[in-house]
Amino acid sequence: MFAAFVQGPLIRIIPVGMVLLALQRTIFVELQVDGVIIQVMMATAAAAGVAGGSERGAVVGFVFGVMFDLVEGTPLGSTAIAMTIAGAVGGLLALIAADPQWWLNALFTALGTAAGAMTIPVVRLFIGEIDPFEDRLAVVVPVVSIAAAVMSPVLVPLGRWCLRMKRPEWTRPIDNEPVT
Amino acid sequence: MAIYTVGRKRVILALLLTTVLLLTLDLRGNPVVDAVREGFSVAMRPVQAATGVVTNPIEQAWRGIVDYDDLERENQALQEQVDRLIGTAAAAEAAVIEGKELQALYSLPSLSGIETEVARVVGYAANNLDQVIEIDKGSRSGIEVGMPVVNQAGLVGKVTRVFANSARVMLVTDARYTVAVKVMSSDQAIDVVPTDTTPSGLAPDEVVAAGTTTTTTLPPGSFPTPTFPNGLPVPPTTLPSATAEPVFDENGRRLTAEEVAALEAAIIASPETAPTTSEPAGTTTPTTTTTTTVPIIEKEYGGLEGRGGFRLPQIRFVQDSPSLAELRAGDLVETAGGSESLAPPGIPVGRVLNRADRPGSGGPLLDVEINADLDRLNFVRVVLYKPLSEVGQ
Repeated sequence: MFAAFVQGPLIRIIPVGMVLLALQRTIFVELQVDGVIIQVMMATAAAAGVAGGSERGAVVGFVFGVMFDLVEGTPLGSTAIAMTIAGAVGGLLALIAADPQWWLNALFTALGTAAGAMTIPVVRLFIGEIDPFEDRLAVVVPVVSIAAAVMSPVLVPLGRWCLRMKRPEWTRPIDNEPVT
Repeated sequence: MAIYTVGRKRVILALLLTTVLLLTLDLRGNPVVDAVREGFSVAMRPVQAATGVVTNPIEQAWRGIVDYDDLERENQALQEQVDRLIGTAAAAEAAVIEGKELQALYSLPSLSGIETEVARVVGYAANNLDQVIEIDKGSRSGIEVGMPVVNQAGLVGKVTRVFANSARVMLVTDARYTVAVKVMSSDQAIDVVPTDTTPSGLAPDEVVAAGTTTTTTLPPGSFPTPTFPNGLPVPPTTLPSATAEPVFDENGRRLTAEEVAALEAAIIASPETAPTTSEPAGTTTPTTTTTTTVPIIEKEYGGLEGRGGFRLPQIRFVQDSPSLAELRAGDLVETAGGSESLAPPGIPVGRVLNRADRPGSGGPLLDVEINADLDRLNFVRVVLYKPLSEVGQ
């Protein structure tokens, strides 16, 4: 079990998550865009999904979400659901392209993050919060998504590293030499 | 590239079900979850402190770029306010002293008697939904869940979660926040001069456009003293202080208990007249100063509810009372207290900024501009108050 933990992705996901959480609670609270806090952890979960597929993205999102809920004091699991969905959606979208360009990665990361950001008020509604769908959601979701797209060139490799994955290498099939 | 299979789908489903399980456990209250939460918060503290040190220069640079113009405008507006307040500070100070004397005289509940704990704001919510701050004092300082939190301007929020050395405070603007309040008015609308930055974040032109802010310029020294209907001056609401204020005379000498009692008797004997300056015999110009009185009426009691960071809190469950006065913009809002209320009576909350009438018997909705600037909280004061229904339990 210990060996599985050491060799698995969690040993990288947890410390990276702690650093990202600290950044989320310090610098990203200050660097707001139009009053919207950029969700770097959710963007990383979506980026991990893009890099490693929906299952691994969901695992990263789940771990990040639980960490976020533990420290932020939000109901445990409420952000975890949203980040799990962000990672899963990012991974599912990445299936469209076998070897996506950087801009496709950015698009998938943005869409995954948007799915996660829209899930949060839904979860809050289910746990009894009255009217969590603020008008601001129309601003929050695009800003958070665009920020995720902008950060994706950094976050996708970071997600890949967390998951102990290497960039897929596609090589051109070697043509057989014509027989003379 | 990952391939979508049934097995992978099961993993995602299992994770989602786990989150639902965690959510259920946490919402029902689970000591294990609380312990894990506290333990992880402790583990995160050094990481966050180190990150804060590293990112602080970036934050400062960002603020310098983004907030410079706002800061300059705010500085000018504050300078104007300081100039205006200097003129009225002396009169207000005297009114506060009179108010405390009267509260003591009539054994009225006063915030001065409630202990408070000053705390520093160390963090804001990191998501876009909650209006929550974190303070650096916790259960070791006597702070408990539910206690109201104020600053010099008025009510800020209430404590919702307490750790040993920190606590979380839900701000008045949070959509989950509710508190019982009373709406009060004076016959004369005395309102603040609109400034470039308003506590709720509304631009001053929006405030003026709403047609709700009236500006009354009062010459220094003519600060009106509110009175009870029977003519006695009403003490202006004061924020809680750790110690009772001493009473001083015009020369700055502290009055003894007997002298204070004599002063109180003089106030009762002559409620609408300020103490007359006694002149030595032989002088020919005796002067009497009459204080203008503006009665403050408690119009209605209702519930103040937060509506998120970008919308003003609203008061519901209120109706116009023809025998008293109509609820209108400019009315004062204070906590109402009560045996079940988590906040003691008399904490200033804000001012009614807008009134929206609803059809039927729903009564009007009152938008309230909060006195405290919730975007710039540095130090707050936790009022160590327990509702009467919980005292002794």
